[in-house]
Amino acid sequence: MTGTFSSVNNALSALRYHQVVMDVSSGNIANVSTDGYARRRVIGEAMGAPVQPAMWSRYEGAGDGVKVGGLQRMVDQFLDVRARREHGNQSFLDVRQSVLERVEAGIGEPGENGVAAALDEFRSGWHVLANNPDSEAARSQVLARAATLADALSVQRRNVEVEEGDQRIVLLSGVDEVNTLAGDLAETNRSIAVAQMNGTEAGVLLDKRDALALRISELTGASATLNAKGGLDVTVGGVALVSGSDAGVLAVSSGINADGTADGGPVGFTVTSPGGTVTDVTGGVGGEAGGVAELLTTTLPAHRAGIEAVAQRLADDVNAAHGAGFDQDGNPGQPVFTFDPTDPGGPLVLNLDDPRLVAASATGGGPNRNGDNATAVADALSGAAGAYQRLVTGFGSEVASTRRLAGNQQALTGQVDAAREQLSGVSLDEEMVTMLQAQRAYEAAARVMTTIDSVLDTLINRTGLVR
Amino acid sequence: MTITRVTQSMMTERSLTGLQGSLGKLADIQEHLSTGRILNRPSDSPTGTAAAMRLRGAIAQQQQFARNAEDGLGWLNTADATLQSTNDQLRTARDRALQGANAATSPAAREALATEVEQIRAGVLAAANTSYLGRPIFGGTTAGSTAYASASPGAGLPEVVTYTGDGGSVSRTVAEGVSIEVQVDGEAAFGPDGDSVFDHLDALAAALRSGDTAAIRAGVDAVTADMDRVGSALANVGARAVRVEQATVRAADAETGLASSLSEIENTDLPQAMVELQMQEVAYQAALAATARVLQPSLVDFLR
Repeated sequence: MTGTFSSVNNALSALRYHQVVMDVSSGNIANVSTDGYARRRVIGEAMGAPVQPAMWSRYEGAGDGVKVGGLQRMVDQFLDVRARREHGNQSFLDVRQSVLERVEAGIGEPGENGVAAALDEFRSGWHVLANNPDSEAARSQVLARAATLADALSVQRRNVEVEEGDQRIVLLSGVDEVNTLAGDLAETNRSIAVAQMNGTEAGVLLDKRDALALRISELTGASATLNAKGGLDVTVGGVALVSGSDAGVLAVSSGINADGTADGGPVGFTVTSPGGTVTDVTGGVGGEAGGVAELLTTTLPAHRAGIEAVAQRLADDVNAAHGAGFDQDGNPGQPVFTFDPTDPGGPLVLNLDDPRLVAASATGGGPNRNGDNATAVADALSGAAGAYQRLVTGFGSEVASTRRLAGNQQALTGQVDAAREQLSGVSLDEEMVTMLQAQRAYEAAARVMTTIDSVLDTLINRTGLVR
Repeated sequence: MTITRVTQSMMTERSLTGLQGSLGKLADIQEHLSTGRILNRPSDSPTGTAAAMRLRGAIAQQQQFARNAEDGLGWLNTADATLQSTNDQLRTARDRALQGANAATSPAAREALATEVEQIRAGVLAAANTSYLGRPIFGGTTAGSTAYASASPGAGLPEVVTYTGDGGSVSRTVAEGVSIEVQVDGEAAFGPDGDSVFDHLDALAAALRSGDTAAIRAGVDAVTADMDRVGSALANVGARAVRVEQATVRAADAETGLASSLSEIENTDLPQAMVELQMQEVAYQAALAATARVLQPSLVDFLR
C-alpha cells in the first residue's frame, strides 16, 4: 500500500526532474558556439521498487516518479583520438606550407628581378666587353653586374637564414607553450580525479581536458590515452609528458642554443620527468614543433646549401675562365669572385676593384684589344645558370607538393571534425524540442499535483459531512 | 558519410569553408588577371618555371647576339666603304700613271702627275688608318690608335709606311657557338711591308718624276695587282657582311619565337580568365545567397 502523500511526491520528482532538463537544455543553448563544448544530455531514471530489504518484505507501490540518473557528455573517445592525430598532422603540414611559401616568395622567379635575370645581365655584360675590350665603361659595367649578381645570390641566402632564425624562435616559444599546457592538463587531471571521488559533475573539467590535449597534439603530434581516474595521459614520440597529475618538461636538447642561435646539429627534444629523469624523444615529434624541426634540420639547410652550391659553381667557372685570359696590362686574370675566409660557405665577394683588371683578352704579353676571353667567360656561365634553374624548380616542386598534401589533410581533418561535431555539437532545433517537452511535462506534473490536491481536499474536508 | 544529425555550427562551419574556398578561387583568378601572369611563383608550375627561366635566358642571349651582329656589321660596313674608296683612288693613280707613261707628256706635267700620285698615297694611308669606335679597323687587336705609321727611317731619307697593327683577329659571337671575324687584316688588303701599296705608290711617283717609262709601266702593273688584292679583300668583307646580316635576322626571328613561347607559358589567357572570373563570381554569389538562407531559420522562429 502506498502512502497518502506519495502521489504528491511522485509529481514533485517530476517537477524537479524537468527543471533539471530545462537547466541542461539552457546550458546547451548558452554554449552553442563555445569551442570544445560537448552537449550534455540528462539521463532520467524511473524510481521504483527498492532492493528487497528482507525475505518477506514487499514493495506495494506502482512507481515513485523519476530522478536524474546522471548527465551524459556526448563524446566518443575514439573520435577524439582520431581528431588529435589528424590535427597534429594538419599543423605539421600547415607550418611547412607557410614557411616554404614565404621562402618561395623571396626567390622572385620567374621574373625580371631574380638571380636568373642578374645572371643574364652579367652574361651580356661580358659580350659587350668582348665587343669593346678597351672600353672603360664596358669594364666597369661587368664589375657592377658581377656585384649585382653576388648580391642577388646572397639576398636569397639571407632570406633562408632569416627564416631559419625566425623558426628557431618559433620552436622555442612553441615548446614553452607545450610545457604550460602540459602543466594545465596535469592540474586538470588532478581536479577530475578529485571530482570523481566526490561524485561531483566534472563536465566542464572534461571539456577543458580535451581542449588542452588537442592543443598539445597540434603543437607536438602527441597522443593521449584515458587513464583510470578520468584524466588524459599524454606521450610525445613515445615518451610520457603528462602522466596523471604529473607533468614533465619538454625541451629542445640540440640544434638550437638557448639564445635562439643554431648549434649546427639536427634539432632534438628531451622530456624531463618530475623526478628529474631526462629522456630523449626518439620516436619523432610531430605537429607544429615537428614541422619546424624538420624545416630546421632538413629542408631549409638543403635549400641554403643549394644556393651556396650555385654560388660556388659560379665562382669556380667564372674564375677558371677569367684566369685563362689577360687584363688590360697583359697580366693573367685574377679570380673575379672569392669567399670571405672568415665566413666559410658564406656569400660571394667581388675580388676585382679596378676595371683594368678585367681579363677580356685571350692574348697576353702586353696591352691589346682582343676580346675573346670575355666571350669565353660569357659562355662559361651556362653551368651556373642550369644549376640555379634546377634549384628553383626543385624547390618549387617541394612547395607545390607540400601545398597539395596540406590540402588533402585539410579535407581529412575537416571530415573528422564534422564527425565530432555531429556527435557533440549543440542543435538548437533539438534543444527547442527538449525544452518544449520538458515544459509540457512540467505543466502536466503540476496538473497532477492539483488533481491530487483536489482529491485530498475531498478526502480531508468533505468526508463525513452531510449536507 | 551518412549524416544523422546536423547542427547549426556544422552548417556555419561548412558554409564558411565553402565560402573561403570559393573566395580563394576568385582571388586566384584575380591574381592571374591583375598580374597578367599565370606563373607568379615557382610552385605554380615547377616545370613551367624551368621552361620560363630557360626561355628568359635564351631571349636575353638572342638579344645580345643581335647586338653583337649589329656591332660586327658596323665594322664590316666601315671596312667595305674604306676599301671601296681605296680601290677608286688606286684606279685614279693607275690612270695618272698611264698618262705619265705617254712619251708626249712634258716633264712639268709629269711632275704634276707625280704630286697627284703622292696625294693619292696620303689618301690611301688615311683610309688604311680608318677607325671604327676609336679602333683602327685594319690594325687587328692593336692597342694603338693607328694601323699604319709613316716615318722616315733616318735623317734626310724619304718617309716609309710601316704596319703597326698586330694582325690579331676580332670576332663577334652572332649565334650559339658561331663567331664571325669582322676585322680586315691590313697586310692582306694593302700588302706586306716592303711590298705594300704605299711602297708601290712611292715608287710610281718617283718613276713619274724621273720620266722612266719602264719603271712607270712596272708601277702600273704593281698598282693593278694592289687593286686586285683590295678587290679580293672587298669580296671577302661582303661575304662576311651577308653572313652577319643573316645572323641578325635569325637572332630576331629566334627572339620573336622564344618570346611567344614564354608568353604561352607565363601569361594569362585573358578571355579564358574573364570567363572563369564570371563563372566563379556567379558561384560565389550563389554560395552567399544559399548561406544567408540556410543559416537564418531554426525552430526558434516557428515556435510561439
